[in-house]
Amino acid sequence: MAGISIKGLSKRFGTGETAFAALSELDLEIENNQFVTLLGPSGCGKTTTLRLIAGYLVPDAGTIHADERLLSAPGNVVPPEERGMGMVFQNYAVWPHKTVYENVVFGLKLRKVPAAAARRKVEEALALVNLTGLESRFPNELSGGQQQRVALARSLVVEPGILLLDEPLSNLDAKLRERMRSELKQLQRRTGITFVYVTHDQAEALALSDKVAVMHGGRLQQYGTPREVYERPANRIVADFMGLMNLLPGKVIAARNGTGSIALPGGLRLDVALPDGTAEGDAVEVVVRPENIRLRSGNGSLAQATISDRTFLGNLSEYYATLPTGEVLRVQTHPLQQFAPGESVAIDIDAAQCSVFRQEVESIS
Amino acid sequence: MHRAAPRYRIRLEHVVMGAAVAALAVLVVLPIGSLILGSLLGEEGLGLGHYAEVLTGRLYVSALKNSLVLGAWTGLISLLIGVVLAFAVSRTDVPGKRLLQITASLSYLSPPFLTAIAFVYLFSPNAGLVNVFAREVLGLPWLHFNIFSMTGLVLVTVLHTFPYVYLLASSALQSVDASYEEAAQILGASKFRTALSITAPLVAPAILSGTLLAFVNAIALFGSQAIIGLPGRIVTLPTRIYALFDYPPEYGLASALSLVFVVITVVALYLQRAFLARRSFVTLAGKGARPQLMQLGAWRWALFSFGVLVFLVAIVAPYATLIAVSISKSWGLDFWKGLTLAHYKFILFDYNVTQRAILNSLMLATAAACLAVALGAVIGWIDLRTTLPGRRLIDYASLIPLGLPGIVVAVALIQFWLRMPIALYGTLAILLLAYVGRYIPLSVRAANASLRQVDPSLEESAQILGARWSTIMREVTLPLIRPGLFAGWLLVFVPVIQELSASILLFSSGSITLAVAVFNLYETGYVEPVAALAIINMIIIGCAILLANKLGGGGIAQRTTGQGAAA
Repeated sequence: MAGISIKGLSKRFGTGETAFAALSELDLEIENNQFVTLLGPSGCGKTTTLRLIAGYLVPDAGTIHADERLLSAPGNVVPPEERGMGMVFQNYAVWPHKTVYENVVFGLKLRKVPAAAARRKVEEALALVNLTGLESRFPNELSGGQQQRVALARSLVVEPGILLLDEPLSNLDAKLRERMRSELKQLQRRTGITFVYVTHDQAEALALSDKVAVMHGGRLQQYGTPREVYERPANRIVADFMGLMNLLPGKVIAARNGTGSIALPGGLRLDVALPDGTAEGDAVEVVVRPENIRLRSGNGSLAQATISDRTFLGNLSEYYATLPTGEVLRVQTHPLQQFAPGESVAIDIDAAQCSVFRQEVESIS
Repeated sequence: MHRAAPRYRIRLEHVVMGAAVAALAVLVVLPIGSLILGSLLGEEGLGLGHYAEVLTGRLYVSALKNSLVLGAWTGLISLLIGVVLAFAVSRTDVPGKRLLQITASLSYLSPPFLTAIAFVYLFSPNAGLVNVFAREVLGLPWLHFNIFSMTGLVLVTVLHTFPYVYLLASSALQSVDASYEEAAQILGASKFRTALSITAPLVAPAILSGTLLAFVNAIALFGSQAIIGLPGRIVTLPTRIYALFDYPPEYGLASALSLVFVVITVVALYLQRAFLARRSFVTLAGKGARPQLMQLGAWRWALFSFGVLVFLVAIVAPYATLIAVSISKSWGLDFWKGLTLAHYKFILFDYNVTQRAILNSLMLATAAACLAVALGAVIGWIDLRTTLPGRRLIDYASLIPLGLPGIVVAVALIQFWLRMPIALYGTLAILLLAYVGRYIPLSVRAANASLRQVDPSLEESAQILGARWSTIMREVTLPLIRPGLFAGWLLVFVPVIQELSASILLFSSGSITLAVAVFNLYETGYVEPVAALAIINMIIIGCAILLANKLGGGGIAQRTTGQGAAA
């Protein structure tokens, strides 16, 4: 089991006009026995990072260490076959000309494990992923989920210190994906192997990880626990990527010791923590998650809005509430709480769950 | 385990890759360089003197003209036959489609110099069986066809080249999404209008591309042009170059003429590629329904008769003639009176020249196919799996021989190895180099195509488990591309076993090959043994195809196509 230490890692692809920075100055500390997810949209640099950790790519700058051992530096890269890691690929990469058994035993043969011991280990690994009895099948006789388990067993059987997973569930259907998700989490807890997991699915990242590294445009945006990145996003990009949100323009009307009051459209007012350096009169953006807004029938002292549309989603209801100033808020409520379109409602925002960012001159996305 | 990795290490893959690049240089790049140098090197140093002569000298200009005339007519007639057959097979309800398909593939596989010899036995002005029959039995001396003419040469060449048009046209016709045509029909276009304004423009690039391939191949065939052209005093580029090696050899002129030849070929191939590139919108079509087959009514029998005619002329006539000649005591009107296997016995057991030729050709074809496939696999791998600077150049270099007619390859090798301290001229080795060099593009394409089917993650997953390059190759890559490699092997073996254009300049009595032996026996007038040897040649080709299908196909092929190339 091993931790990974990444410092100043950069990688560019292409040359001349077409060159672009796939990864810029990444610093990341992955602790031993952790389940860490690299999360971001396609092109954010997460797969590049994973392939750099595996040693398939040579960095342009920066270093990767695993437990003090230098693995990668520009022009000095330990090849993948000498890293002792495991990797599970998006397309499974189960060898189609080998049986399940031959696939799984491959790494043990390379390590010259005696045949009897190898057989036992393969059986254990297959049992671990619930594939006992399928040893002599060929991959094309297996379902996608089973093939993915073969890929897992093949990586786990050699007991790597680090297991890299590149969107391993993205080719599975929704139900299977959810089941494999919980199996993966259990596997990681049981084996204690450090998992580095790449995905673009924020729900997957939240459900699985000890820590999430949110990436965008080749840069690390935030690194923290699932709760931290969801509830306290470091910037608008992270907030946007981590779930649904309402983005409201606001103005600081009072600021003192890092907290203050913000005026929002439609007479809403929030007392919240302010970003560093915010002064009275500054324009800010406030991120409000749909589940942190409460609606109540009738008028009150609170701000008013009109229900303009509603969608029944089964486990919850979603409303679009239009403020008198024209802004539309997306609100999620318990399905039993019902409002009719056109109904006038009072709005209450949970200030403690809101994030405030200083107005960006240019939006990044 | 805590030390840093060494900065650089020589590994097996570097050695293998280096060897492949070196081999490519020796096989292709250096000989071409020598050819260019030789064409410029005159008695008074470097100059364009040789070019001036080959571009103005009467002999050379007429050879050039004859080659172009031959190529043009062959291209045109190949176009007609190829398109009609392709249309019949892919778009109509013509009966006997299987026969038409077989006709095209057999015509493509038949060595053209054997077809030429067979037609000489039928249509030579004095002794040709058909001509004799018309003159002596029917008493119709005007019913007479002289094969030793441009018409005869075009006829024989077309029988080998029409499949290029057929294959490209039929694959294009089949890949046109039917919805394109249905969309036109629902808008009110008639069948004829649809064919003219929708189908024809879609497949035209492929057809033109096939025609140019027919042209390029037609003008490069030494065998038929020597066998039919020379007696008819029609000298073409390959036979002119060949004549320049009569004592005293004119290396400089031969090199210059070769390069003129190469320019024509390369221009035609460039156009062909350009046309084929425009074809891409045909194959982009989705998985729409297969096109509706046209109901031809009574006309389908006319089309069928045409197909049968092609089959009779291209396959039955030459093969039946060669078989008949090979088992007759002496070829003539009453050849059937004394059938014998003596000629087979002669070439297989009694005559050591033909024995040696068969053995040499088998060894050379096997070795050349294996080497070419090995080299092709490495070059394909470098191109697709490494980030080596200059890997595209390596790929291009491996394609150069496509633009080189066989006899030009021979001239280039002679130019190169005569300058080298190693005496290779006249050995089996130089023939091997010629064959591998000439057919390396085929094996590179085959390896490239099958490597593209193997997702890199299949190799990477072995690597992360600790496998070194040699293990990955042995355990993962090679087993997965095996069917493609066998196909590539066959693609090289078949043409090598019948190779004449380059061999004719490179052989010696010790390194004589099958095709050269056929040619020499023919030249010296051994009519019946030539036919027997020709049949042996065809049997070897047939066996090779069967063998490669058996070894390469089957379970593995199905298993590997199952998946693995996802994502």
